[in-house]
Parts: sequence; C-alpha cells; structure tokens
Amino acid sequence: MYNREIDGQVYTFGVSGKLWRDALLMYDHQTRSLWSHITGQAVEGTCQGKQLKILISMPKITWQVWKTNYPETKVLSVAYNPNHPGQQREDEVQDRYRQYHRSSRTGISKIEYNDFRLRNKEQIVGARIDDHYRAYPFSAFEGKTVINDTIDQTPILVFHHNDSGATAVFLSLLETEKLTFVDHTDYLVRDKQTETLWNLITGTGVKGRLKGKKLKRYPAINVYWFAWARYHPETTVYR
Amino acid sequence: MIRIGRQYLLLTVTLIILLSANFLVLDTEAQKQWRQFSIVNAGYSTDPIMTVLPFDAIPAITDPRFVEADQARLDVNSPIIGVSLNGDSHAYSIRLLNDHEIVNDQVGDIPIATTW
Repeated sequence: MYNREIDGQVYTFGVSGKLWRDALLMYDHQTRSLWSHITGQAVEGTCQGKQLKILISMPKITWQVWKTNYPETKVLSVAYNPNHPGQQREDEVQDRYRQYHRSSRTGISKIEYNDFRLRNKEQIVGARIDDHYRAYPFSAFEGKTVINDTIDQTPILVFHHNDSGATAVFLSLLETEKLTFVDHTDYLVRDKQTETLWNLITGTGVKGRLKGKKLKRYPAINVYWFAWARYHPETTVYR
Repeated sequence: MIRIGRQYLLLTVTLIILLSANFLVLDTEAQKQWRQFSIVNAGYSTDPIMTVLPFDAIPAITDPRFVEADQARLDVNSPIIGVSLNGDSHAYSIRLLNDHEIVNDQVGDIPIATTW
C-alpha cells in the first residue's frame, strides 16, 4: 500500500500488463511510466527512480476480526466488478490463484530461484526495518503469536496470528522503555515489564499501566519466500 | 526385413518433419518475445520488461465505492486487506482484488494505492 502523492503530484495507477522480476508492473495515467508494485519505485519512463512512500496496512486478515476491531470500517463494494455482472457478494469471485498456491511452481518467467534457506513456497512474514530485511517463516509462530527479536540493534515485536492471518511488526520500545511480549489469549498479548495487555491488531494497550498507548509500526507483508528472496537477496532469516 | 525398414523410414521422416516444425515455431516465438523485451536503462536495472497483456486488460479500480460494515456481504472468514489512517478504515476483499490488482483510493485524506 502506497501514498499516491509525490512532491505534490498525485498519480493514478493502472495495470500495465508488463512483467518485471516476475511481477506485474503498474503504470501511471499521468506519465505512463512503469512502476513496480513490490518496491513502489518507477522502473521506466519519465518518473524512473521516483519512490512511492509505503503506508502501513494489515496485509491480510479475516473479515470478522477486522470488523471487530474497526467497527466503523467501510468495505469496497461489489459494484466495481465488471468481470462478474450480477455478482451479489463482495467475496463471491472464484479464486483464480488457487491452483497456483497449491503447486510448487514459482512465478511466470523461467528464472531459477536458488535461495534454498527456505522452501520456495514457504509462507513468511517479511519485515523491513530501515535497510534491513528479515523473513519469519509462519512455522516459527507455531503455538504462539509473537516473536521478540532485534534487527540491527532495534528491538522489534513480530506478530502473526494464525486464525485470522493478521500480521504486524512493531517497535518494542515505548519512549525509552524496552518491552518483551508474551501471548495472553487469542490476539491479545502481555508485556512482561508492566503486565499491560495489548491488542496487536490495533497496536494499542487495552488494560494496565500503558493502556491507550500505541506501538510504532513497521511495514510487514505476507509473501512466499521465493518472491521475498528474489527482491531482497540480502535478507536474513529468523531461526 | 522390408517391413522393419519401412517403419524405420516412416519414423525417421516423421521425426524430421516434427523437429523442423518445432524449430520453425520456436524460432517465431523466440523472435516475438525478443521484440517484446525492452531493456531498462542500465543505470537502474538490466532485468527485462516483458509484455504479457495489453494495458488495462486487468481493470484497476479508479473510482471505488464502499458500503458500511453491516451492509458488506462477506463471510466471517473472508480474507481482506485492511488499512486505517487518521481514524478512517477501509477493507478490500482479496477475492475481489484478484480481478483488479490495484485500487486507487483515498483514506483519511491520503490518496493511496492498494495493490495485490
């Protein structure tokens, strides 16, 4: 998810139908430059080199859990699906990628993927802290939702909740206080230092001394290992 | 002896025809792909750009409409992408996004692009 405004110019994006590094490129209506939606950077055209600013979003979550935490949320309407006239539901569309997810095929081009630190189709949480990239395999979250980690001296909290699919990465420093988190129930966690209960969907303290405080977020995505390693070959892997 | 000889001949001729046909087809395909490649300026990247579809073959959403949460026809476990900025929250059904790839939207006064 990106901010579409750069230096006062707002861009409108379409699908170019062109592939670069195994992913579709966007084009902007204003200059017809081509942009990678993975990196947010324009790769060709008059905008080449321009960088869209990343906005923090919840990359994937069940409707139920999102709605519980954001009851005022609006939902993109089915009226905008010209491919399926008469569609009645916002989620009715056939999952055209189901076969792809089931197979071990990767990408579209014939490029070989040779970073074998993880299996190609292993699902990971991809975290980016400044210029550092780290992959957290979903399997690392067996029986828990939080991992306390440090990347280049920055203490972080990596959250992945299996039931809802929710994922987030937070700075585990609040002012000067470093916090260590443990599971509480469902997607609520507790910090050991103050015993505050935190809702990690909203990143907010809900009960205890730090109630009402918000944790600073970092960009986080859910993606296949092969795609993450392709774009960030310098990535480290959490073990 | 004659029968085996003829079969060999038939087989060889068939193989030659098939291989030649293959070669001709491959050559055309390879030529087509080469014409579609354009090499990005070396200063940034030499990864090729390959055209697979025309512009807008997949229609991005440029004027999104929304419903309130209680009007949304989604299963409880439907996967969505969510964003909340400045108190304004939007949810995008991932299955719906499969058909559009990009939504140009505005959330909390910020113009955003949701990509999938």
